[in-house]
Amino acid sequence: MNLPLPSIILLLFFPGGLFLIASGLVYQWADRKLVARFQNRIGPRWFQPLADVFKLLAKEEIVPTGAIKGLFHGLPIVALASALTAALYVPLAGFNASYSFQGDLIVVFYLLSVLTICIGLAGANNISRFSIIGATRTLTQIFSYEAPFLLALLGPAIAAGSWSISKINIYAQENVWLILAQPIGFVVALIGLMGKLELPPFDAPEAETEIVAGALTEYSGRGLALFRIGKDVELVIGLTLISALYLGGLANPLDFLWKTVVLLLVTAGLQALFARLRIDQTVGMWWRVGALLGLLQLLAIILGRLIGPLF
Amino acid sequence: MDLDKVLLEGENLLQPWTVSTSRPEENRSDVVVARENLHAAVEAIKDAGWGYLTAITGLDCPAPAVAEGEPAPEGNLELLYHFCNGLAVVTLRVSLPYGDPTLPSVCDLLPYATLYERELIELFGVRIQNTPDTSRLVLPDDWPDGIYPLRKAFTGFAAPATEEKE
Amino acid sequence: MPTQEQNQKFIVPIGPQHPALKEPGHFEFTVDGEIVTAASVRLGYVHRGIEKGTEDRTWTQNVYLLERICGICSHVHVTAYVVAVEQLAKVQAPPRAEAIRTIVAELERIHSHMLWLGVAAHEGGFDSLFMYSWRDRETVMDILETISGNRVHYSANILGGVKFDIDDQKRDFILKGLEFLEERTNHYMKIVTTDETFLGRTRNIGTMTKEQAIELGAVGPTARASGVTIDIRDSAPYSAYKTFPVNVITDETGDLLARFVVRIKELLESYRLIREILDHMPEGELAARIPRRIPAGETIHRVEAPRGELFYYVKSGGGDKPERIKVRTPSLCNWSSVINFAVGHKLADMPMILAGIDPCFSCNDRLIKIRRANQSQVWTWEDLRLHGIEYYR
Repeated sequence: MNLPLPSIILLLFFPGGLFLIASGLVYQWADRKLVARFQNRIGPRWFQPLADVFKLLAKEEIVPTGAIKGLFHGLPIVALASALTAALYVPLAGFNASYSFQGDLIVVFYLLSVLTICIGLAGANNISRFSIIGATRTLTQIFSYEAPFLLALLGPAIAAGSWSISKINIYAQENVWLILAQPIGFVVALIGLMGKLELPPFDAPEAETEIVAGALTEYSGRGLALFRIGKDVELVIGLTLISALYLGGLANPLDFLWKTVVLLLVTAGLQALFARLRIDQTVGMWWRVGALLGLLQLLAIILGRLIGPLF
Repeated sequence: MDLDKVLLEGENLLQPWTVSTSRPEENRSDVVVARENLHAAVEAIKDAGWGYLTAITGLDCPAPAVAEGEPAPEGNLELLYHFCNGLAVVTLRVSLPYGDPTLPSVCDLLPYATLYERELIELFGVRIQNTPDTSRLVLPDDWPDGIYPLRKAFTGFAAPATEEKE
Repeated sequence: MPTQEQNQKFIVPIGPQHPALKEPGHFEFTVDGEIVTAASVRLGYVHRGIEKGTEDRTWTQNVYLLERICGICSHVHVTAYVVAVEQLAKVQAPPRAEAIRTIVAELERIHSHMLWLGVAAHEGGFDSLFMYSWRDRETVMDILETISGNRVHYSANILGGVKFDIDDQKRDFILKGLEFLEERTNHYMKIVTTDETFLGRTRNIGTMTKEQAIELGAVGPTARASGVTIDIRDSAPYSAYKTFPVNVITDETGDLLARFVVRIKELLESYRLIREILDHMPEGELAARIPRRIPAGETIHRVEAPRGELFYYVKSGGGDKPERIKVRTPSLCNWSSVINFAVGHKLADMPMILAGIDPCFSCNDRLIKIRRANQSQVWTWEDLRLHGIEYYR
């Protein structure tokens, strides 16, 4: 479906901007609620994430001594902006992407990484010990999952023969679901997304029992709110991306809804299932298992494309 | 294990340094040793592998009140090193006068005694020589020096008096 | 970041206020990257002066004071004290009282070990286990509430006996609860020993050999996980443990996993013991009479608290107040072991290693008279009391 709307609306209200933030908060709530139910807890009320954001926005923002002021205020804005920009290239809510060009898959991929790098920088910008350790871990982790995650997104692109998310989306709708053709790639992509979002068991960078809140320990008020919204937005984009690529594309809003919710159920289940990995275990796992599986999948696709036409 | 035999074994180990021995309860033996012999006595128990040091109790025994005019006898601090072996408990009693409450450390033999010794230093004002760590363990950082809360003489701070000390 | 560059050491403080420790203790870990190179401990943030306080109170009042040393092992402290006083007074508590004391002590051990299981899992970032074990812990809390009326400070003991009886109705309630708990405990055993991510956080972490455990004076489940057979219930049995012996649970490996396994097996052993005592409840009185003034003398009583050996020294001068009560709590013994085997591990393992010994800060902090600073004036206990009365009037 195409949206006949002027660009400014696309950017600020729908599907970017406000709608995206709102859906980010809803998905955050759904995630928290699901994990809570899996853990036999009640979980938060539906408006809790929104209330959190309002509370944080109303709070005083304290700039700790030793931090560079401009960076301290600028990084959350850059982080959120990059996450929101990334949304313009994905088929959000089942509508065609607002903008599309050859190679936007790579752009989205890096826009999503900017958020993580901003968090890392925000931590390193402080002199708090927890922040610095958290930043080190965040940046260590980004180097571990990024390569396998990219490999996993590469699979559908090769299958569709295009670097444009919109084209892959159309290809996915017309062909057999890629989760069947490339199951390993799907698993790596989904777990890579969890690593990207620092969800358990990959939450070592913000392990509260060791380093309080990791890189964002010194953030309060506005900055923290922006970072959190950025993460929520990233969650929505990530889920959209994976369902567009692997779960037979997103043709309409209903399609979007049920596919992303199913994915969310799976990730919430995984979050409840595992103990936190130490940072060295995370890195080891991604490079030893994740990257290898990603490469294997890629090899299988290339072989398939070579052998396929013979039959 | 025969309780009596175990206790006797412990008493025999301490024989060379014993000043006096008593059996206040059927599973306990009190052995009084002089403080200069404490280290050697603990070493003997440790080398024989007889039980383990359970606790060090500090006791404050102020001198009984005397009639006016007479010189007041000096009070004592008593340290009780409790060694347990099954049901049997052997207690080494060391007595220290207020004027000179010094004692050798046993941390070189039993490294885990350091926390007990730090307690004694802070709460009773025992001066333990060669103990590896003398930093504050339990008392607040701004606790005045020279006030030992578990001595009987300490009955709390009087409000005006402590203001100067702070 | 000039501060870090100036002092070469990078010290990570944990506590007194930190999400890993819900109780006030302060640790400093010097780290090199993620590896811990030195550790130190500072206690005493919540000192209450209980040992000194006992000297101002009568024998009976002390029952209530000592129960409040710890919120988790409240019963076992009083048991140690009460039995010591009974020894001094040459009074023997009736067998039924001793059986009830032991049942409550074992129920308390269940509640403490389940609490620990949850906390330790939480430190390792395994929140699901934390939530479930704490949910199931409510069962034993309910049992304790049903038989005693209280969830935490049961006030089961009085000098010379116990306060309440366990009748058939309560007995059935306990047995029903234990059945559920046993099933859950077996399930936890399976999770702890088979879940790969969790094993990655516990296997070969914080390993302490038998020799080290003896050298460092470890007690309780921490020592037993290293293969040291030290359990006061077995080596110096008291109360009903004389008639109902326990099997000492040990494990050889001495790592965090072993500490989990030992505590979970102890849960199962407690269930067995409680059932056995309930099946063979001795009949008789609940309490013996005890004089108000305790004859002069001194005595020692040792009990096995959930965290290890608890030592009480009681000295009486013959009056209605004790001369001196010395408490040596198990957590104090285990600190030295933590400080020693923390070095060389990763920072990420610290919370679990700390939790591994089941530290109890109220156990440690019990020595000093309470003192509050208010406008540069130091308040005595009496001032504080008057202030309290005034404030709530």
